[in-house]
Amino acid sequence: MDFNFTQDENDFRQEIKDWLSKNLSQRISNKVKKFQRLDKNDYEEFMKALSAKGWLAVNWPKEHGGTGWSNTQKHIFEEEIVKAGAPRVVPFGLNMLGPVLMEFGNEEQKKYYLPRILNCDDWWAQGYSEPGSGSDLASLKTRAVDHGDHYIVNGQKTWTTLGQFANKIFCLVKTDTDCKPQNGISFLLIDIDSPGIEVRPIITLDGEHEVNEVWLKDVKVPKENLLGEENKGWTYAKYLLTHERTGIAGVPNSKSAINHLKVIANKTYKNGKPLIQDPLFSSQIAELEIDLKAMEIFNLRAISSAESGKAPVMESSLLKIKGSIIRQKTSDLLRKAIGPQALPYISEQFDEGWNQETIGPEYAGPLAKQYFIYRKISIYGGSNEIQKNIVAKSEFRM
Amino acid sequence: MHFNLSEERKMLKESCDRLLNDHYTQYKNHHEVSSSETGFNKKFWEECSEIGMLSALISPNFNGLGGTGEDIMIVFELIGKHLVVEPFLSSGILSITSLTNSKDIETSVLDEISSASKIYAFGHSEVDTRYDETYIKTKANYKNDAVFLTGQKSFVLNGDYADKIICTARFSGNDFDQNGFGLYEIDKTHCDIRSYNTIDGYRAAELKFSEIPAKELCKNSDAYNALLETLYAGAFALSAESIGAMEVCFNMTLEYLKTREQFGKAIGSFQALQHRMVDIMIEIEQAKSAVMLASGTYEADKNTKYKNISAAKNLVGRAGKLVAEECIQLHGGIAMTWEYNLHNYAKRLVMIDHLMGDSDHHLEKFKLYSNY
Repeated sequence: MDFNFTQDENDFRQEIKDWLSKNLSQRISNKVKKFQRLDKNDYEEFMKALSAKGWLAVNWPKEHGGTGWSNTQKHIFEEEIVKAGAPRVVPFGLNMLGPVLMEFGNEEQKKYYLPRILNCDDWWAQGYSEPGSGSDLASLKTRAVDHGDHYIVNGQKTWTTLGQFANKIFCLVKTDTDCKPQNGISFLLIDIDSPGIEVRPIITLDGEHEVNEVWLKDVKVPKENLLGEENKGWTYAKYLLTHERTGIAGVPNSKSAINHLKVIANKTYKNGKPLIQDPLFSSQIAELEIDLKAMEIFNLRAISSAESGKAPVMESSLLKIKGSIIRQKTSDLLRKAIGPQALPYISEQFDEGWNQETIGPEYAGPLAKQYFIYRKISIYGGSNEIQKNIVAKSEFRM
Repeated sequence: MHFNLSEERKMLKESCDRLLNDHYTQYKNHHEVSSSETGFNKKFWEECSEIGMLSALISPNFNGLGGTGEDIMIVFELIGKHLVVEPFLSSGILSITSLTNSKDIETSVLDEISSASKIYAFGHSEVDTRYDETYIKTKANYKNDAVFLTGQKSFVLNGDYADKIICTARFSGNDFDQNGFGLYEIDKTHCDIRSYNTIDGYRAAELKFSEIPAKELCKNSDAYNALLETLYAGAFALSAESIGAMEVCFNMTLEYLKTREQFGKAIGSFQALQHRMVDIMIEIEQAKSAVMLASGTYEADKNTKYKNISAAKNLVGRAGKLVAEECIQLHGGIAMTWEYNLHNYAKRLVMIDHLMGDSDHHLEKFKLYSNY
């Protein structure tokens, strides 16, 4: 066993840090740290900078313009961009569609779409979930009917994250209804500007607009936009879900959240002493910190076994579950740490440039809101219960 | 960065595993061994020594072949896997650590331990001192060039059949002082010994003594440092032991879920039970990771070392209790019987939390070493 990063890996980390300090604008990282709303340009500014450096497609092989990095390097990179307060790299084109295109797309599709993802010409959205198909994804109802050289698509997609910024959407659609649900699904690449598509905001419980409904009414999709073979979409969808999930535990996010929690617990007072000295409260932080440290090692173990070629399927599911619990627990303690300061909700505080006086400390504003929205972490990406089903099926064989 | 064992250590692990397995399958369970006249199997203890399981706990500086965090972790995971009652903790880790941290120790003393020719025990706890590190009421009385001990040591693991006892005793200051106590070696023939079995099937003793001759090993800050090293070495070894026992509980339960039928099918087909198994699995992986981290920093500065051991012991305490309780529940009635072996592992897991500081104790220590 060896817990140390190699000299090369440490140099790599330093290189990332140096680059971020020069290329991630203060304006954007401030917004991220204050939980302010990011617009399309904020995301694109950072992603284009990464693209210019050649660091955007961390999960892609070199031949397609990716970094070709090892899992350990990806992990280091992920840690550093979270630490620096960068906006997240929008994953739908890069980490979801990209690998599926490379594996199952035809030459023309690869040649056309991959560079456009790499250059941030296209913003992809994910069209998987439907109002009636959440955990039971294969039950989806959106229909694509064959009209010779094109399909006519009718249906509705939902939970489309950042769909308001997207110009493209990859959709799972039904092309055959006379078979087992999994066997009649196809994978279509669709222009959001196509006539008949409407993107409507869903306002989530925190009052924010991040996810959307996408309505498709008689949308004409050319046949060349079919990815792979007709009725094989479920295979591609599953491939996408198991691909590159070593970051799923959210270790860097939880690390910075716990640091934030400790800072706040030092500034907040209870019985005349910093909250961090309160045995009740500090024990909860400490337990969380112990769990996170253990999970970090668990995550590194999964990364290192992936490095030696074993697909960490079971580990991914376990890490997703534990990671979501830790992130939620941290947001829970952050909310508790500030007491009644959690109550005020000043929506404008989350707009760029807002400079009025806060009620209570500035850091208090987003904490309750974050707590509520973080309930999503154990629901999305295959809910924790679905992850448990996956593990039971693959590991227990029962 | 990698988490694989070296070839050498893989071999150590395999040969130890084989020996322990062969030996313990002769018995119905470990109670049979600890309830015997001697409380352990001397021949087997010598075999353990012969294949290097004891030298693996001793650093080359003291003529051993190991003594690193990784060595201790490997050996104690196996101890937990096979519920070994032989004195690996007492005569092994605790005595070795207190001796090697004492002053002017001759390597020959450690050779006696590693060759299984002498058995040591370690007595620190007193009947009501709980997990407090420096709460010592046993008295050391210096007269001329000699020192004599009076007091009582409790829950001394394997204390009844050890040849020598290392214990703490105070010569000045109040009961909690970090100064004013020492580590001493006493002879068991001078002690009044009350021997008993523990709830989890191990052997321990209450020792009483009055003005008996002792040999000073170290005192004041040296003794304090040696004591901390010893208590943390023990906490670390027990954490690794817990991992081995947790894995056995998990595998037994999984096997049972696959074979036990109710309502016409294997109970493992029920989602309510499957999900609880995944919860256990997560906590075992977490605990394993914490123990690995503690092993990786066992040779680091004391603050880091103690912090990570406390984190591991805390997590193992929580996870061990979860595994014990859930595996009993998932089995159902069968797990309530003496006949079915699960209770032995469940008891060990819970009792590990009663040795060398429980999860609350180590949470406090973790905060201390993390500067909360």
